[in-house]
Amino acid sequence: MNNIFPRASYDNIINVGQIFSRVKMIVNAELYVKDLPGQLVGSLEPISMVDGNIMGVVHDREQIVNHRISLNVTFEVEDATQLKRLEDIWKSRDVIISSIGSVYSTFSMEYLLIGRITASYVERLMDEASQAVTVDSVDIQYSSKNHHEKRTAMISVKVREEGDLERLDRFLGSACREGAITYVRGL
Amino acid sequence: MRIFIAGFGTVGQGLAEVLDSREMFFKKRYGENVKIVGVMDSKTYVTDPEGLAPMDLVSRKAETKRVGSRTYTDALEVLDSVDYDILVEVSPTNYETGGQGLKNIVHALECGKDVITTNKGPLAIKFGDLIALARRNRCKLKFEGSVGGAMPIINLCHDNLVGEKIQSIRGILNGTCNYILSKMDSGQPFEQALKEAQQLGYAEADPTGDVGGYDSACKVVILANSVFGRNVTFSDVSITGITGITEEAIALAKSRNMVVRLIGEVTDTKLEVAPRLVPRGHPLAVTGTLNAAQILSDLAGPITITGRGAGRLETASAILSDLISVLDDRGE
Repeated sequence: MNNIFPRASYDNIINVGQIFSRVKMIVNAELYVKDLPGQLVGSLEPISMVDGNIMGVVHDREQIVNHRISLNVTFEVEDATQLKRLEDIWKSRDVIISSIGSVYSTFSMEYLLIGRITASYVERLMDEASQAVTVDSVDIQYSSKNHHEKRTAMISVKVREEGDLERLDRFLGSACREGAITYVRGL
Repeated sequence: MRIFIAGFGTVGQGLAEVLDSREMFFKKRYGENVKIVGVMDSKTYVTDPEGLAPMDLVSRKAETKRVGSRTYTDALEVLDSVDYDILVEVSPTNYETGGQGLKNIVHALECGKDVITTNKGPLAIKFGDLIALARRNRCKLKFEGSVGGAMPIINLCHDNLVGEKIQSIRGILNGTCNYILSKMDSGQPFEQALKEAQQLGYAEADPTGDVGGYDSACKVVILANSVFGRNVTFSDVSITGITGITEEAIALAKSRNMVVRLIGEVTDTKLEVAPRLVPRGHPLAVTGTLNAAQILSDLAGPITITGRGAGRLETASAILSDLISVLDDRGE
């Protein structure tokens, strides 16, 4: 039988491996799986097996080709090696990879802000930061106050460009100096 | 070969012990021993052109708290009172003016002597001037022990990586801060960890130089000038110490599988000392009093070295490597 599915290619995958910030790959894949019970789970499980993180799944039962249904999944993996491992697992499970595309890298960084801070202050700060740089995602976690009335905010940020991390670092560093807040950033 | 030791505290005494234990090595390699012809501490001195017995010096210091019986007011006069080939300058450092150590180094270089030092203050304040003076007088100025103690970072960059373009150096350059932060990893508050470090002799009674990041900043300056060929001084470094780090912050970092470490960073454009979040398992997530440095070069990529950053014999080991380098050069 001729392969009616377009060949997957890694040509458009950006992987900027370096040691200053943690880079991950966001990947969108178009899969075709057999229209049988358990096939959906069986095709998503390998993403966890390569330590990937599923960000979104669209299961299209209307689009059936050769008794297979379309599955569009967006996920995050560490690097191209993990993506290749994932591809091999899918192939071994008879999952057809129609395309891998819409791929981009994210740069992640963690920050600690320590001082007499409130949640509203930190959230306002991050709102201002997101006007200066394109932030993909922000996650903030707080400690309780200690006996000096100080608390800590741990901020995890993902951006699309490495230059954004430098801009964000300058912005947060400057704001913390002004506010007498101890500023700790990731490597 | 005759050396004069200026400063006879922990490091000076460690060097005397090492010279004593390496007597046969020197005789075999150079056909003669290295003679200590003069030593001074902060108040007293002793000289002997025929050579002083290293272990006698150590014993006398331990018993009387003084290395010699003669007192002095002018250290430079003491240096001039005996002929020597190499000055080993290991007196207490002064971050603000360079102190007596700077005067000793300048005087020795002006007199055409080679100098080996672990004294960070003079190097952080007057590096360019000292190198120029050494070149003018065709002297060697070696300072491996000034950064990272036994960790051979400067000579690694100068010798093994000489053909590489070094892009950055990041590292833990102060064992005291690393000890305190390691203790905080297991839940101790800052004040308690600092007190413990003081009791164990890792931190001074006034710990500002360590916990304020100033000691690391001096080392950053020395690396910037010696490895990156920059012309910077202490005041050019952006410095944040570890006094603002709370146990809650450490716990929050731990919940994300990270630790906080005081990192010195040098590139062509950056000079910084600051607490940073380091993933557990990262080469820089070392514990205790260890120092670690990651050198990023264009061909070799990242190279990590780790070792004891301070200590009697550890620092003496760095001086020994400088001494051998100077002696080898003289023999060529």
